[in-house]
Amino acid sequence: MFELPNIDLPLYVFLVVFGAYMVFYVLYSLFNIYHLVRYGVYGFGLYLIVTVFTGGTILLVAGSTFLLLEYNWMLPISLENATEFYNEDLFPAL
Amino acid sequence: MMRLDHLPNQRDNEHVVLFLRRHWFALLTIATAFVLLVGAPLAAGFYFQETILDWLAHPVIGPLFTILASIYFLSIWLFAFLEFTDYYLDTWIITNERIINIEQEGLFNRTASELDLAAVQDTTAEIRGILQTIFTYGQVYVQTAGEKGRFHFKNIDNPEHVKELVTRLVEEDKRRISMLGAGSHGKIKSVIK
Repeated sequence: MFELPNIDLPLYVFLVVFGAYMVFYVLYSLFNIYHLVRYGVYGFGLYLIVTVFTGGTILLVAGSTFLLLEYNWMLPISLENATEFYNEDLFPAL
Repeated sequence: MMRLDHLPNQRDNEHVVLFLRRHWFALLTIATAFVLLVGAPLAAGFYFQETILDWLAHPVIGPLFTILASIYFLSIWLFAFLEFTDYYLDTWIITNERIINIEQEGLFNRTASELDLAAVQDTTAEIRGILQTIFTYGQVYVQTAGEKGRFHFKNIDNPEHVKELVTRLVEEDKRRISMLGAGSHGKIKSVIK
């Protein structure tokens, strides 16, 4: 019979994916803000838009960080135990 | 940054008569999409509160779920901001001498064009459908003699008023130019004498 090799992956691998997404997010946001400041019409509204967007981003990232700090990121996930997560514990209320 | 009191290539005695963006209904569309995309998962989360709390307490599913949720909400926020930027940077400026059309298409395409009011041949206002009739917004097409000479003011507020204004400004500009022409003609004549 074919057997899956037992590979252990640390949980922080997910954090690397999140970090990569954040790099994309920051670059795209900065490029968008540059566009607004470069081509937008001068006025209070322009500063308000940039402030609201930056404020919202800071709130979302702070909230995510606050939640993510709770977990043990060194916990290894083994491929063997992966099936354990796919059981009735996933939807206990159903 | 563009200043309305200091337009690019501004001419002597040129001033802004009307500054246009798309109707606020475009903003409402963005806001509705944003509220739905944020509200629906939040409402589902509230309804399945116990399940969500169990997931969050799990040592593996918890962080994975939190990361996915963070990516989702940050993406919605970024998407709304991009859409707003597209709305904000689409502008039409009507001065007493020309029309400036600035269009942002996505993040990487931008078109800026202008035409002299004297070159305008025809202006059309168009209101179509129930929403445009109720909220009084629609299209204005400004036609010139040139092949590519058609400006399209997309989904602007009160297109009838804008059409009348453009027509009046075109007439005034043509009159001004013919007076200038008559003046210069006279000057040349006096030099010849």
